[in-house]
Amino acid sequence: MNKPKKIAVVIVAGLFVYLSLYTWNLRTGHLDALSSHTGLDLSSLILRPGQWAGEKAVEFWERYIYLVDLKRQNDELVQRNARLIRQNMILGSEARSADRLEQLLGFTPPAQWNFSGARVIAHRMGPAGALATLAVDRGTTSGVEEDMPVVSLDGVVGRILRSGAVSSTVLLLTDANSRVAVIGEHNRSAGMLSGQGYGEPLVVHYMNLNAVIDPGELLLSSGLSGIYPKGLPVARVVRVRRSDISLFLTVEAEPLADVAGLEEVLLLRRELADEGGQGPAEQEAAPGAAAQ
Amino acid sequence: MPPRSNSVALLWWGVFTVAGVWAQRTVPGVDFLAPGIVLALQVQAGHRTLWLALVWMLLLEGTGNLPFGYGLAWYGTLAALYLMGRWLFEARSFAFMCLLGAALGTLHPLLTYGLASLGDLTVDTRRLAVEGVLQAVAFPLVWMAADILFPRMLRQDAKSL
Repeated sequence: MNKPKKIAVVIVAGLFVYLSLYTWNLRTGHLDALSSHTGLDLSSLILRPGQWAGEKAVEFWERYIYLVDLKRQNDELVQRNARLIRQNMILGSEARSADRLEQLLGFTPPAQWNFSGARVIAHRMGPAGALATLAVDRGTTSGVEEDMPVVSLDGVVGRILRSGAVSSTVLLLTDANSRVAVIGEHNRSAGMLSGQGYGEPLVVHYMNLNAVIDPGELLLSSGLSGIYPKGLPVARVVRVRRSDISLFLTVEAEPLADVAGLEEVLLLRRELADEGGQGPAEQEAAPGAAAQ
Repeated sequence: MPPRSNSVALLWWGVFTVAGVWAQRTVPGVDFLAPGIVLALQVQAGHRTLWLALVWMLLLEGTGNLPFGYGLAWYGTLAALYLMGRWLFEARSFAFMCLLGAALGTLHPLLTYGLASLGDLTVDTRRLAVEGVLQAVAFPLVWMAADILFPRMLRQDAKSL
């Protein structure tokens, strides 16, 4: 066999092996799992010591150099705490009232969710990081699973895309491949929120032309997709436009969470029935069942 | 190779990998480890280059978010371009490295867009083009820095006959 023929055979064989591996992985996901449990975890192990050292240095700086600001910060926090206690009293009373009404109407209580904290170790990394993501220092060993909702104190951040043993990748709300089912806080108009990339506004799709939605209105997760719990704040409407040629409104929104500046996030895990004991509905049903 | 050389090689490539990962965290979308593949092929092609390529490929795939295949195609094409380019160019010349960088800079948006299309994903093509330019610029510079810093005792190409 002459040289050009040899090269052609090598190229064809290489392409065949590559496409076979790609197709096999699409069907089974084994290679994705392998890379998550090796590459993602290895990068986490490489990044963590540097991050720890950086945090310690910042902590030292803040503790000793900025000590003078502590009194002013403390006064502000005391005032803020008093304000939050007042708000909490009112909200607690409203929540108890809502619980009573739901019990009277016989509503099934929603699923319980557990919160656990995670530290952001990196944002988009490497040439294969084409989607808007961030990496957190919790993986399958901490109970992290794919599609778990990720939130910050301001609102929804995204969901778990892939998880390794000790680290995971979060698909951000701002990515063009992200979809969240939402409803308006006041007018309860439903739609599908998707990103357009970092720095670009979010867009609400499939909101009927006659739906009522106001600029400034908060968009909450509707819980329809089964990924996010109902009622989480996601984004705020910034612009509403009506089109003469479309059946839907053009609604733009801004995310509540500052995804670029995140340092810590909360991971939400649905509590299983046998994990957290019996829920209120089961507890109510149990005596009746025993009596029968 | 004596045990001391093995330890030095392990340490050097370990430091290179750590520095590369931190650089990739700082400048997203650019592969700072790719020049290491070429350097490994130049100084001592063989099992070590294969192991390095395997580890870096898993790193690339693990930290990335596309369906598996980017790392394999990326490093496979780079190695093929380098091996074929050696027939035409002086293998260690800076100009050849610039050409390899330009090829990788062109390959990055094409490969990412192709894999994203296969996975039914939407990607920002403008950003990919910018990352391609950055890759083209970074590749020869990182190769040059790594080549200067690479320990002389590990070079097979510099040893006397």
